[in-house]
Amino acid sequence: MQQLRTDLELADREAIATYLQSEFPFLEDSGELSPHVGGRKAGLARLQDFQLEKYGKQRNFLDGEVSQLSPYVSRGCLELEELRQWALKQSRSKSVETFVSELAWRAFFHLVYDEEGDRILQDLEKPKVPMNQHQRSLPDDIANGTTGIPSMDTLIKMLKESGYLHNHARMYLASYIVHFRKVCWRAGADWMYSLLIDGDLASNHLSWQWVASTFSTKPYIFNRENLQRYGGSVLPGDPKKDDPFNYSYEELAERLFEGAYTPEPSGRSSGQYQ
Amino acid sequence: MPSLIWFNEDSLNPEHQMVKDYADAPKVYVFDVPYLQTQNIAKHRIQFIYEALLEIPLIQIYKGETVAALWQLVEDLAISEVVTTETPNHMIKGWQDELKKSVDLVTYPEMFPVTDDSSPRRFSRYWRKHERSWLTV
Repeated sequence: MQQLRTDLELADREAIATYLQSEFPFLEDSGELSPHVGGRKAGLARLQDFQLEKYGKQRNFLDGEVSQLSPYVSRGCLELEELRQWALKQSRSKSVETFVSELAWRAFFHLVYDEEGDRILQDLEKPKVPMNQHQRSLPDDIANGTTGIPSMDTLIKMLKESGYLHNHARMYLASYIVHFRKVCWRAGADWMYSLLIDGDLASNHLSWQWVASTFSTKPYIFNRENLQRYGGSVLPGDPKKDDPFNYSYEELAERLFEGAYTPEPSGRSSGQYQ
Repeated sequence: MPSLIWFNEDSLNPEHQMVKDYADAPKVYVFDVPYLQTQNIAKHRIQFIYEALLEIPLIQIYKGETVAALWQLVEDLAISEVVTTETPNHMIKGWQDELKKSVDLVTYPEMFPVTDDSSPRRFSRYWRKHERSWLTV
């Protein structure tokens, strides 16, 4: 074993990046620094800036108010229970309840992982749509962010450059990879886990299983209308020709699952977990 | 009884209760190189972890294989117990199980308002059952 330096200045993030690259030469160097600074102090500063009162209504929008605290919670710089206590001390509102329920999701995933162990790396349930022909490895164009669909490529670029993605964006990407591209959820989950600062096998892999329908009652899909509504201000427009998303949910279900699954007439608009 | 605090990547909190309870214990973190390479962990996460570690006073940071590194520290420093935090991460749990074979391991649990042993496979069920506990100070 080799001891690493601890005398670097936290403020000099470029120097830290250079040092880590020399100590871990196998790392791919994107040349970019993530905007997410590690440590409890940075986490507390972010918590102070978080406008909880806006969270309930805005959290599904890619440019909406979200806490961006998951790197700090996943890496334990902030503890889930202290965030819950903090939230409950704010003026009671629907936003507070929504935020606390999102914290509960994280605990729920941990409880499931604690019980299932590494079985969460395999299908926990029978998929509700056909997936036995899905590709077992991640296609290069997805890994490289060169799918040719500008919205998806933008999300992949954001993930690789910052080590973070909005939760709704994670769901879009997971759904695109599993249902539109027919790739096994595990390949996508492993890839996203490797890139996320907040990579957590419980939240990450179980969310992918939720999208895939191996840990839920139905597959999660989205369409153009949904993408435009929640991501339109952040994502570039996609070409209209051969747009894979520009269908009603009923049409998408038929195209993607060949009738194995029929969505409810209203479709799912918010992209929320249910 | 000489103790050693071992931080894992799921609990990088300089104010964690274990740090207060074992104020004089040396504090260590090991970047597990085989894990980083096998999982293809990206640089952003490693930098985030490293930056978080720099906030922990007197932290000693190593790179190598976690269990081998900790065994060596246990031997060199005549440690009789290793203090750490619980995590559902099966890889870290595996390292903890290995350590337990030769040294006492003290683990601090994750703090949730409720625990549930009923295998709630759907969040909606879990939330219906425990909403009140979660929303009560």
